[in-house]
Amino acid sequence: CDQETFLNPTPLTSLADVEAFSTPDRVLAQVNGLYASVKSGQFMGGRYQVYVDVRGEEFLNVTNNGVTALSAWNHTQNSGSNEPTNLWNAAYLAINRANLFLAGLDANPTVIDQTLANQYRGEARLLRALTYHQMVQLFAQPYTKDNGASPGLPLRIKGEVGSGGNDLARATVAEVYKQILDDLNFAEQNLPANYASATLNTTRAHKNTAIALKTRVYLAMGQWANVVTEANKIVSTAAPYRASTGVAHQLQADVRTVFSNYTTTESIFSMPFSSNDLPGTQNGLHSYYVPLTGIGDYSLNPNGIISNTTAFATADARRNFVKSDFSGDLISGAQRNRLFKFPTGPVHTDWAPVIRYSEVLLNAAEARARLNTSAVDEQGLALLNAVRTRSNPTGAYTAAGLANSAGLVSAILTERRIEFLGEGMRSNDLLRTNQPLPEKGGVQSAPRIQAVPTTASVYIWPLPQTELNVNKLAVQNP
Amino acid sequence: GRVTSSDDGSALPGVSVQVKGTTRGTTTDASGNYRLNAPANAQLVFSFIGYKTQEVAVGNRTTVNLSLASDASVLNEVVVVGYGTQSKKTITGAIATVDGKSISDKPVQSFDQALQGRAAGVSITTPNGVLNNAPVIRVRGVSSISGSSSPLIVVDGLPINSGNVSQGGFTVNNPLGDINPNDIESLDILKDASATAIYGSRAAAGVILITTKKGKEGRAQVSYDSWLGATQPFRLFNMLNAQQFMDYKNLAARNAGLPDQFFPTTNPDGSIADTDWYDLIYRTGYGQNHNLNVNGGNKDTRYAFSVGYTKQQGMIQKNDFSRFTGRMNISHQLNKAVRVGANISLANSFNQSPNTGTTGAFSTGGLGRLPLVLAPNVAPRNPDGSYNINRAANNLGLGKNLIGPGGYYNPLPDLELSKFTSENNHLIGNVFADVFLLPGLVFRTSYGLDQTTVEDIDFRNSVHGEAGTVGGQATNIYSNIKQWNWQNYLTYDFNFGKNNFQTIVGTESQKQMFNIWGGTRQGLSDPFFTSYQGNFTTNNPPPGLQTENALLSYYGRLNYDFDKRYLFSFTLRRDGFSAYSVDNKWGNFPGASAGWRISEEDFWKNSALGRVVNEFKLRASWGRVGNTGIGNFASLSLFNSGLYGTVPTFAFAQAGNPALRWEISTNTDFGVAFGLFNDRITGELTYFNKQLDDLVLNEPQAPSRGIPGNSIATNVGSMVNRGLELTLTANTYTRGKFNWTTSFNLTTLNNEVLALANNNADIFGSTGGLESSNIIRVGQSAGSIFAIRTNGVNPANGRRIFINAAGREVQYDHAAAPAQRWTYVSDGAVAPAIQGTDRVVIGNALPKYYGGFDNTFKYGNLDLSIFLQYSGGNYIYNGTKAGLRDQRPWNNHTDVLNHWKQPGDITNIPRPVLNDNISNGSANPISENVEKGDFIRGRNILLAYTFRNNLLRKANINSLRLYGQVQNAFVITKYSGADPEISTNRDTNVAPGVDRNSTPQARTYTLGLGLTF
Repeated sequence: CDQETFLNPTPLTSLADVEAFSTPDRVLAQVNGLYASVKSGQFMGGRYQVYVDVRGEEFLNVTNNGVTALSAWNHTQNSGSNEPTNLWNAAYLAINRANLFLAGLDANPTVIDQTLANQYRGEARLLRALTYHQMVQLFAQPYTKDNGASPGLPLRIKGEVGSGGNDLARATVAEVYKQILDDLNFAEQNLPANYASATLNTTRAHKNTAIALKTRVYLAMGQWANVVTEANKIVSTAAPYRASTGVAHQLQADVRTVFSNYTTTESIFSMPFSSNDLPGTQNGLHSYYVPLTGIGDYSLNPNGIISNTTAFATADARRNFVKSDFSGDLISGAQRNRLFKFPTGPVHTDWAPVIRYSEVLLNAAEARARLNTSAVDEQGLALLNAVRTRSNPTGAYTAAGLANSAGLVSAILTERRIEFLGEGMRSNDLLRTNQPLPEKGGVQSAPRIQAVPTTASVYIWPLPQTELNVNKLAVQNP
Repeated sequence: GRVTSSDDGSALPGVSVQVKGTTRGTTTDASGNYRLNAPANAQLVFSFIGYKTQEVAVGNRTTVNLSLASDASVLNEVVVVGYGTQSKKTITGAIATVDGKSISDKPVQSFDQALQGRAAGVSITTPNGVLNNAPVIRVRGVSSISGSSSPLIVVDGLPINSGNVSQGGFTVNNPLGDINPNDIESLDILKDASATAIYGSRAAAGVILITTKKGKEGRAQVSYDSWLGATQPFRLFNMLNAQQFMDYKNLAARNAGLPDQFFPTTNPDGSIADTDWYDLIYRTGYGQNHNLNVNGGNKDTRYAFSVGYTKQQGMIQKNDFSRFTGRMNISHQLNKAVRVGANISLANSFNQSPNTGTTGAFSTGGLGRLPLVLAPNVAPRNPDGSYNINRAANNLGLGKNLIGPGGYYNPLPDLELSKFTSENNHLIGNVFADVFLLPGLVFRTSYGLDQTTVEDIDFRNSVHGEAGTVGGQATNIYSNIKQWNWQNYLTYDFNFGKNNFQTIVGTESQKQMFNIWGGTRQGLSDPFFTSYQGNFTTNNPPPGLQTENALLSYYGRLNYDFDKRYLFSFTLRRDGFSAYSVDNKWGNFPGASAGWRISEEDFWKNSALGRVVNEFKLRASWGRVGNTGIGNFASLSLFNSGLYGTVPTFAFAQAGNPALRWEISTNTDFGVAFGLFNDRITGELTYFNKQLDDLVLNEPQAPSRGIPGNSIATNVGSMVNRGLELTLTANTYTRGKFNWTTSFNLTTLNNEVLALANNNADIFGSTGGLESSNIIRVGQSAGSIFAIRTNGVNPANGRRIFINAAGREVQYDHAAAPAQRWTYVSDGAVAPAIQGTDRVVIGNALPKYYGGFDNTFKYGNLDLSIFLQYSGGNYIYNGTKAGLRDQRPWNNHTDVLNHWKQPGDITNIPRPVLNDNISNGSANPISENVEKGDFIRGRNILLAYTFRNNLLRKANINSLRLYGQVQNAFVITKYSGADPEISTNRDTNVAPGVDRNSTPQARTYTLGLGLTF
C-alpha cells in the first residue's frame, strides 16, 4: 500500500473532529452527547444529588469509605479531595462540550435548518445553565447572602480546544446567575413545546423545562416575584394544578409511580439509564442508599426527617420509600433505615431526577408565602397542600394551624425535606436560606459531626487544587 | 586418542587434529575419539572453534588424550548488533552481553527476571511476588514521562510487543514469559545511541536483542534440563494477634472517648478466634520445569529444536503459571547463492491470579492488603462451615466486634469461588532468505510475525466480594495483538589492505494491530454457574479496543576500521510513525562513534604497560534516537460515541495536538575497554549522558476549560540521565582443580528534570488514583517522593508532629473537637489543618546506583556460584506502613505496641485514637513513612556437581549435572517494608518507588538436573 495511507490509519472507534458536524444524525448525536455529559456519574447521573443530600442531616455514613462521599458527609473536603475535583471536571467538560457544540453549529450552518439549529442551541444553553447553577450552589456562597457579590465560578462560554487560555478569574455569583438566566431565557424562546414521546419529554429539554428551572434559579436568588411569574406559565391557578401549554405537567396520583415509571408528566427532566448505559461503579443513587444490591454507603439518620412523625406521618405514602427490613443490615442489633426511592439493583438503571413538577409547585408556594408576609398566603398554602395531600390525604395544613407567613414557609421547607429526600436538594435549600449545616451522627455507631456555621470555610466546597495550579487567576474560597 | 573439553570434561566431536607441517589429519568422532597415524617426532595440532588451538608432541605414545581449553575471548568475540553482528574488539558503541547460560536454569517465568543485576546500565524490577508480572526495565534510567520507558525487545531480528497484555481485572500477563529462557543463547543490550540509532525511533529506552539457540554443524546434541522447585513468601509482617488487637484497639477507642469496641469471638471448642489471615492467603507453591533440546546440522543444514514445559505455583493461593513452548530454528543452504531459514517459536502460557492488589493498590479485596487490615479476632468461617461474611454490607463478618474495617472482603470466597485467568497463544517467528550476490555482499529479506492472542477470564462469585452486590459477574475478553514486520537489507563487508568496511542499507515496515473485545454479564441465575457461558440476568456494556500503528523506515550503517586500530561507525535511520501528527510523521536519527585501540599501537605493545594491559580501547559516541511510546492517535482531535439512555451520542473526547512530534533522546558516551594479563581481567568503564528533549507531556489544562482529561499531549519536557557504568570480569584465581571467576558491574545514575509544561508546572504522580506521593519537578529526579514532613511524636502528649509549608511544627489530636485538632507545638494555639499543599520533596525515588556481583567457585566437578544484586541511593514511599499503623478499625503491625503511653516517652508511634488516619499518614503521605531503599540481595546461590563416568557413558549419557539453588536467598536492607524491590505502580514513570499494599517477593528453592547425550 502507499506510504501516505500506511502512515495515516483512521481510528475505527472514534470520529475525527472534522466529521462531527457532517450529517444531521451526527449533530443530533452530539446533542444527546451533551445530555450524556451532564449525566456523568460524577455529576447529575448520581453523585451531585448524593453530595448535596449527605451534606445535610438526613443520612448517616455506614461504610466509612473514603471514595463514596465521606468527606462530603463529614465536611472534610479540601482542595485536593477527589470529590470536588471530579465533579468540577465532569461539569466543566459538559460546559465545554456545550460551548464547542454552539461554535460548531455556527461554523456549519447548512447541515440542518435554522429552526432545528436554534432548538439545539436552546438545549445546549439549557444544559450549560443547569450545570453552572448546580455548581455555583456548591462552590460559591449563596446568592442570597450578599446578592451575588461573592466570587462565583470561572465563566467559560466559548469552546476550548488547544493549549493556552488557562487563566480566567472567577466571575461573581451574580454574573454567573446572569449568564444562567440568559441561557434559560434563550432556551425558553427556542425550545419546542414538546416532543413526540413521553421519553423525549423527560429526557430532552422543552419550553417548560426551561421555565421550571427558572423557578428554581429565581428561588435560589430570593427573587420571589420572578419565581411566581415563571411558575404561573406552567401552573394553573386552581387545582388540579397542571401546565396548560407545552407538556402537560401535573402531579401523579401516587408519588411512587414517579419512581417506577420514569416518564410521567410529573418528571420534567430526568437523566435516563439503561443496562448499556450505567452510572458507573459507586456512582448510582441505588448504590449509595441500598445494601445488598448496592453498596448502601448511607442509611437514613434516625434523628432526621424520618423521626418527625408529625410532619412525616406514618401513613404518608412517602414512608414507602423508607425500608427497614434488609436482611443482615443491622447496627448494634437494630435495623437500619434505608431510602428505597431508587429500587433497581444490582444493575443500577434507576433514572436520576433533575426536576419534578412537585418542585415547581413548592417553589411557587414558597415564593408566594415569602411575598405575602402579612398572612398565610392562600394560594401558597393550596400549592403546598397539593403536594402534601397527594401522599398524606389527611395531613392538609390549615391557615390557622400555620399561624402566619413564617409558619407557611417553615412548613414548605419541611415538606421539601420529605418530598425530595435523596433527590439532591437538602443542602442547597439550607444554603439559600442561609442556615448552618446541622449536626448529625452520634447514633448507630456513626461519629458525631458537628454543625457547620454559615461562616465556616467548609460551608461551601473548595475549588479543586488542579484548577488553582494551572489557572493563575482563580482564587480559592476563603 | 580422545579430546575433551577442559570446561566440563565432555567429549568434543569435530575437533580437527593435524600433523603439523603436513596435510595429514582427521577430526574427532561423536565421542571425541580420533585415530591418526603419526611419526614419533610429530607435533599434533588440535584446533576447534571456540577453543584455544594446542600443539602436542606425540613422542612414543600410542594414545594422545587432550583436554582443550576454551577460549573465552574468542567466544565473546562476536556481539549481536542491530541487523547483524560485529567483533567485540572493534565495537565502538555501548553494548552489554549476557550469556544465556546465566538465565536458562533459573526458576523464573521470564528471562527478564533472571537478567536482574546482570548487565551494567540495565535496571530491572519485578513489581512484586505475583507470578509473571511484566517487569520494569530501564536502560540508563527513565527515558520518558508520559510515554514508555521500556526498551525495544528484538528476538532474532524481529521486534516484538512487550508490556502487560492482560485485559482482565486482576491477572498479570507478561508476554515476554512466552519466550522459553532455556531457548536463549545470548542477550545483547544496546545502550548508547551509536548502538541503538539503527533502531531509530524505537530506541530511546534502549534495545534488548535476544538470540535464540541455533544449530551447529556436527552430530546431533541432545540435552534434557529439568528442575523441581518450592516457593514461599518471606519477610511478611508481624501483625497483632487477637488479644493484642483487642487490647490495643480498645485502648484507641477509649482514647477517642468511646467505649470498648472489640470483643473476642469464641470457637466451638471454647478458644477465642485468632486468625492469621496470612495463613489463608500464602502457601508453599511447587514448580517444575522441563526442557528438551536437539541441536545439530551439516554443511548445508543446521537445526535446533526444543520443547519446554513449566508449571509453577506462586506463593499466593491460586496464583499459577504454566507454559508449553516449542521452537524450531532451521537454516538451509539451497545453493551457492541462497540460504533460507526460519526461527519460529510457539507458546501456550497460562496465568492465573486472584486479586492480589497488583492492578489496584487500594482494592478492598487485594490479597496484599487484606491480611494487614482484617481483624484477627474473627474467624474466616462460621462454626457451620459457611463463610463469615456480612451479606448486606458485603464485607467480613464482625464477630463480636461492634465495628469493622469497612468494605474489606473475607478473602476465602474469592479464593474458592472466583477465577481470574489470562491465557496466551503466542507465535514469534520469522522466515528469511540470504542471497549471496558477491563476496561480502549479501541481501537479506526477512518477514516476521509476533502474534499474541489472549483469552482473559474474569469470573466473580455471587456470594461475596467484588461482585457481591451485583449477584456475580463474568467478563471474558479476547485480545488479538498482531505485529508484522518486513525487513530488506543489503550488507557489504570488504577491505582494502588494512582498511576494513562493514556496511548495511535497508528498509523496514511494521504494523501493529490491537483487537480487543469481549463481554460482561451480571446476576448469576444460580451459584452453580461458574463461567461467562452460564446463565445471567443482565448483559452489561462490553469492553473493547481497536487500534493500530504503522512504522516505515530507511536505514544505513557504515563501520570502518583501519587495522583494527582506528574504529569508526556511522548510522542514519529515517522513520515514519503513524501516531505523530500529519506534518511530523518523519524523523531522522543519526549516530556516530569512534574508537582507538591504543593497545594495537607498537609503542603500547612494546611498553611495560602493554605487557600487562593487553587491550586498551578508548571510545566515544554520539547519537539521537526517538520514542514511539505514545498513544496511537495522540495527535488527533476525536469524538467518542456512547449512549444517552438508549440513544446514541457523540461527544468531544480528545483534544489533539496537530504539532505533536518526536521525543528526542540525544546520547553522548565516553568509554574505555581494557584487558589485563592476556584478558584474564577485562573491563569497561563508560560515562554516559542521555539528554531527553521534546518529551511529550500531557500538558495540564485548567479543568474549567473542560478539555477531556484536562490535558493535551504536547512536546514540552526535557530531562537528563547521567552516570557511569563499570563492568569487570576476572578469572581471578586458579590452583590445581580450583578455579574462581568473578564479575562485577556498577551503574551510577543521576536523573534530573530540566523542563516541564506550563512554565515548568509540577506533575503529580499518584497511586491507585488516590494517594499522591510523587512529583515531577524541574531540578529534581523524576518521580521524587513528595510528602509532608513529620518530626516524630511529641513526648509531652503523644501527638504526631507535622511541619507545615511555613516550616512551623503542628501537632494533631484526633480525640479533640474537629476545630481544635490541629495546634501549634510551640504554644498550643489552633493551627490550620495540614493538607496536600504542605508537601515537600523528600528525595529521589530512582536508585542512584545499582549492579550485580557474581562469583563462581569450581573444584573439579563441583561448582558453587553466588550472585548478589544491589541497588541504592533511593527513597521509597512506604505507604504500606501508613496502613499498618492506621487507627481505623484495621489490624496493625506489632510495632504499634511501642506507642506513646505517658509524658516523656520517646517513640515514633503516637498515642492511638480510634479512627485516626492522619497521624499515621493514610490521609496524606508523610515523611515518617519514607525510607531509604538500599539493599543487597542474594539473588541466586547455586551448588552443582557434574558426573561423567563410564556407567553414564554406557547409558549413552555424556554428562549429568545435579544442582540445588536458592533464588532470592536473602536481602540485606534497613528498609522496614516487605521488600525494597517493589513497584506498586509498575511501569509508570511518574510514580516510582511506591510500596502500597503490594505482595512481597518470593523465595524459591530448586533442585535440578541437566543431561547431555
